[in-house]
Amino acid sequence: MSMDFTEFKRRLGAEPRSRDPALLAARDSSAEHREAVIRAETLEEKLELAASLPVPPDLLENIHSIAGPQQVKRRSWWPVAMAASILMAIGAAGIGWNMSSRGWESVEAYVMDHYRHDGDKVLALARQGDDADVHAMLARFDLDAMPELADIVSLIKYCPTPEGKGIHMILDTRDGPVTVIYMPDIHVKDQEMLAFDAMEALLVDLEHGSAVIIGANSQHIRNYYTVVHDSIVPIPGRS
Amino acid sequence: MSTEDRQLSKFNGLANDYGADLFRYAMWICGNEALARDLVQETYLRAWKAIDSLKDDKAAKSWLITILRREYARTFERKVPKFTDVDTVVVPEDSELEPDDRAEGQLLRQGIMKLAPKYREPLMLQVVLGYSCQEIAAELDISKSAVMTQLFRAREQLKDSLQKDGVTGNVHGLY
Repeated sequence: MSMDFTEFKRRLGAEPRSRDPALLAARDSSAEHREAVIRAETLEEKLELAASLPVPPDLLENIHSIAGPQQVKRRSWWPVAMAASILMAIGAAGIGWNMSSRGWESVEAYVMDHYRHDGDKVLALARQGDDADVHAMLARFDLDAMPELADIVSLIKYCPTPEGKGIHMILDTRDGPVTVIYMPDIHVKDQEMLAFDAMEALLVDLEHGSAVIIGANSQHIRNYYTVVHDSIVPIPGRS
Repeated sequence: MSTEDRQLSKFNGLANDYGADLFRYAMWICGNEALARDLVQETYLRAWKAIDSLKDDKAAKSWLITILRREYARTFERKVPKFTDVDTVVVPEDSELEPDDRAEGQLLRQGIMKLAPKYREPLMLQVVLGYSCQEIAAELDISKSAVMTQLFRAREQLKDSLQKDGVTGNVHGLY
């Protein structure tokens, strides 16, 4: 017995690509059924096309980078590269943070690895003038930004950090762009300087995590220590 | 191949196979590109940390979707995200499409965003991720019959919204 047309339409509307034998058998049972199939297939093609939104070109690269540090660590040249790199901690004391489960050996290693991977690309994005919803993004960490900081952020995005999700932002300053990375749940030796490649980095210890300010000029990034230290603040009443 | 090589190979396979569709699905459930990127990144961060717990490769897609949906639910626990207006779901115009088809596509996208989440989510699981009604039922923890009703109503609402917007041309022939 052929499927009732109302039931046929309901099943077709629920699962137009179904290969269910009963549905397939009913397709040719009448002209009415065949027309319904054609209409459903037409809609489905358009729906699939409409739903296939474009994917950011760097999405896959960013996903692959999540496992990147482990890959680097797996290769035995990582400690050698570390030793041979220009990276150095200016100051005798080590940084108060232990190796993370993600595989970065230290904050220095994370900063260098992340900036080499993403630093220039994010700077380029900032030059394109992307929107910077600073307050909304920091609110996900129960934080907010004071105007001294919020007003000069030209781009903000989430990024991986040793303890999970963090924030990568670009400050538009008088002397050019400055990168700031917020790292939740990590504490560092405040105002310690790092250097790698041609970049300088200043660590900022915060009540709720830490940040690193990265730029080409050490004096320039030091000028923004106070802004970063004092302007990333917990939202009152949030834990 | 070492254990670490296998882990990395498995992870990269998950990224290549599902990364793009997870992003599209995330876009459709949250309507915000920054949040969608964040959800996908967090999903893969969690997947990487728990990669050893994925024993059956056939379950990978479902595993990732479950992680993403949980992460999205956590987002709501902390703060209701700002939804992007449907008009700002930007899709570059495909030069191969006729103007009428481009207009239909835009109207359909707006129609999808206007669907209530209980209709939009199963529809996108099916259309974007290729889930069957049974798989959607398992993911959303509802009956298959309820899924079929939601999918049917979702498509009916889309057709209604297109009709209301007075679309002519090919879409007109849908009714």
